[in-house]
Amino acid sequence: MKLTRLRSLALAALLSAPALAVQSLAAQTLDPKTLTLFHQPADVWPTYHGDYSGRRFSEITQINQKNIAQLKTKWKYKITGIPPLRGSGPLVIKSTPLMVDGVLYFTIPDHVFAVDARTGKEKWRFDFEDHGGHVLGQRGVGMYGKWIYFLTPDGWFISLDSATGKERWRKKVADEKLQYFTTMAAVIVKNHVIIGIGGDAMDVRGYLESRDPETGELQWQWWAEPLKMGDPGSETWPNQAAMDHGGGMTWLPGTYDPELNLIYWGTGNTNPVFAGQGRKGANLYTDSIVALNPDTGKLAWYFQASPHDTHDWDNVETPVLFDMEIDGKPRKLLAQAARCGYFFVLDRTNGKYLVSKPFTKTANWAKGIDERGQPIPDPGKEPHVDGSMVDIATGGATNWPPPSYSPQTQLFYVNASEGYSVAYLYDTSSDPQGYGGGSSGWFDPASSLIALDVKTGDVKWKHTAKGLGGEGGMSGGILTTGGGLLFTGDSRRLAAFDSANGKILWSEKLDSSMSNGPSTWVLDGKQNVIVGAGDTLYALTLDGK
Amino acid sequence: MRRVMLLCGGLAVAAAAAWIGESVSSPRAEVHAAQAAPAATPEMLAKIAEGSSQFQQKCSFCHGRDAGGGETGPDLTRSKLVLEDVNGNKIGEVVRTGRAGKMPPFDLSSAEMDAIAAFIHAQQAKAKAEGGRRGVNVEDLQTGNVAEGKAYFEGAGTCAKCHSATGDLAHIATKYQGLQLEQHMLYPRDAKSKATVTLPSGQVVSGTVQLHDEFFLGIVLADGTYRSWPVDKIKYTIDAPHEAHAKLFPHYTDADIHNLMAYLQTLR
Repeated sequence: MKLTRLRSLALAALLSAPALAVQSLAAQTLDPKTLTLFHQPADVWPTYHGDYSGRRFSEITQINQKNIAQLKTKWKYKITGIPPLRGSGPLVIKSTPLMVDGVLYFTIPDHVFAVDARTGKEKWRFDFEDHGGHVLGQRGVGMYGKWIYFLTPDGWFISLDSATGKERWRKKVADEKLQYFTTMAAVIVKNHVIIGIGGDAMDVRGYLESRDPETGELQWQWWAEPLKMGDPGSETWPNQAAMDHGGGMTWLPGTYDPELNLIYWGTGNTNPVFAGQGRKGANLYTDSIVALNPDTGKLAWYFQASPHDTHDWDNVETPVLFDMEIDGKPRKLLAQAARCGYFFVLDRTNGKYLVSKPFTKTANWAKGIDERGQPIPDPGKEPHVDGSMVDIATGGATNWPPPSYSPQTQLFYVNASEGYSVAYLYDTSSDPQGYGGGSSGWFDPASSLIALDVKTGDVKWKHTAKGLGGEGGMSGGILTTGGGLLFTGDSRRLAAFDSANGKILWSEKLDSSMSNGPSTWVLDGKQNVIVGAGDTLYALTLDGK
Repeated sequence: MRRVMLLCGGLAVAAAAAWIGESVSSPRAEVHAAQAAPAATPEMLAKIAEGSSQFQQKCSFCHGRDAGGGETGPDLTRSKLVLEDVNGNKIGEVVRTGRAGKMPPFDLSSAEMDAIAAFIHAQQAKAKAEGGRRGVNVEDLQTGNVAEGKAYFEGAGTCAKCHSATGDLAHIATKYQGLQLEQHMLYPRDAKSKATVTLPSGQVVSGTVQLHDEFFLGIVLADGTYRSWPVDKIKYTIDAPHEAHAKLFPHYTDADIHNLMAYLQTLR
């Protein structure tokens, strides 16, 4: 109803004002119908992942295996007039731009950009001055009707007018003095703006919260640990204090199944990070995939990827939703390639596992899996004073850049780090705090694009980048398309692979390594591929037209 | 210390209030600093408090909020450079110029720089006073058995195929100690690979690999000239000395690593 009213206002303005002024002020409005689990309309990219599934698969076929050689840069938008950000140096676009009514909305920490999708010309820019918090990344904005939602390093939740970039209101959602910070692209589900937070420098609790899109007021909060002893899950903690300092940040956008009315979210590593002796037990619900009701924030089910984590294996990687027939029965599934090195495929109605298998080396930190498919940590491979060698690199087997699932190939794709590291325990006291240890090394390093069979967890194909360090290696997230293509970054180039077999079909040099998840949409009958690399956003089309 | 302000995880507001009241400017650190450094004055304490605030904003994500190491940055309370620093002369240089590929440069006023240096020194003094374990010490990596390490070196580890305790590894434990030695032992990251390239003309050239990815190979020839080719235009082989080390990883037990370390540490 509100949308209709806004449109008629825009129409009134069109009739009464000079055309030019109207063009610059007309509100871009997101039609809620474009928010789908699968099959979003081709002329819009309405959320961080494009649709609610997190598959990052587009059905568009205009650019395909036959004509990929003609793909050319149509325009570049380079960020200018913003100095390097404190603490993180050069400007890096990690956000996936939304595209609504011909306008792209994307971010870096402290800044929102609205750029004409046809020309790459800036429409408006919103500049924010933070007072603390961490500026290491910003994943993008959320949109509801004509309103844009943006999160700042110091925990402000800001609503902007999509037509002008003018601020509507701001609400504080995280306290930077507790070392919380916000980097997420807010996820809009019905009339809920869902916000996660980061910050594990101070042993605080993770939480996820829902806010009203009109007023910004809090609707619900879900905490990553049980609130008090006796609550379900508290039996996995030794005491209240350990639970209150347990971490479990929610810093990447989750996914949503409208039919089941469940949101799916990854929770971050447990705190203290490497020293686990003061928090004996599995430490729920850190390092888990959780399914929550978006109207109430109530937990429906959980699956813990790294019980009693002592390796900093933040389990926030995208829980990707897809449907598939297995043994003749249609199944609603969820897959995650986790930082702990395991690939999980779960039934998303109840969290029961179908696949739980290492996807890089052997994931030797675990002794195997339990009856629920959850890895069983090996105490012998916890960090030790004299070191404990783990066959996963420091930083994990994968990280935040978005993976992809293609229903065409039925393969799940992830950019992975392969290698070995040694985990050391520093703090041997009975009540350690903070990091309490560390991981050293990325020994025998390899950077690989891995295609996983979702029925078995087997590696179908793997492309290992030859170059590493500096400009080498795989970079950014992954997009697959109906044209049989997979787009990702490889050795400072944007590369298109054959999604069936991993063969490189085309590549083009970028000014720096690809730094975000690629996206695609059709405008004026032309398919565009959009990628961010460092401080520059690129639009590519066939023949650059 | 970290726990002091975290009274109630469920109520961020209450916790925040406690945090601001307790230690946003690390009063305990100041007290310790005052004890450790008798010259501490109210002005010095104010400077440390200001430094703490600056540090939390600019440095803590990588170096931890207490400078004890964090997400990506080393523990500054154990840093040799911090030990040698006087009033920010060495810290300031690193902060202003950054470290290539590791740390961005920061543009700070000299007052801000002074305050941050004062805070880091206070944290170092505090860490020393508390005696808490904050990293890997040389003695931590001496838990292994020297004789078994020697046997592994000469036998199952196949180390002796390329190395000699009296040749290239003589005095290795004098050159490197502790964690540094262990990292060199596990994976000689800086060892240069050699490439032998056959050009379309049939000419064969060889040199040190400078660039190698899906698309290009670039090498430095013996005379210092750099040459590169698209990989699909040439034939080439690469000899990488770290590959023999990489092959050991799937076979190592932690005991093998500890024993080998114990043995290498006898090569002084």
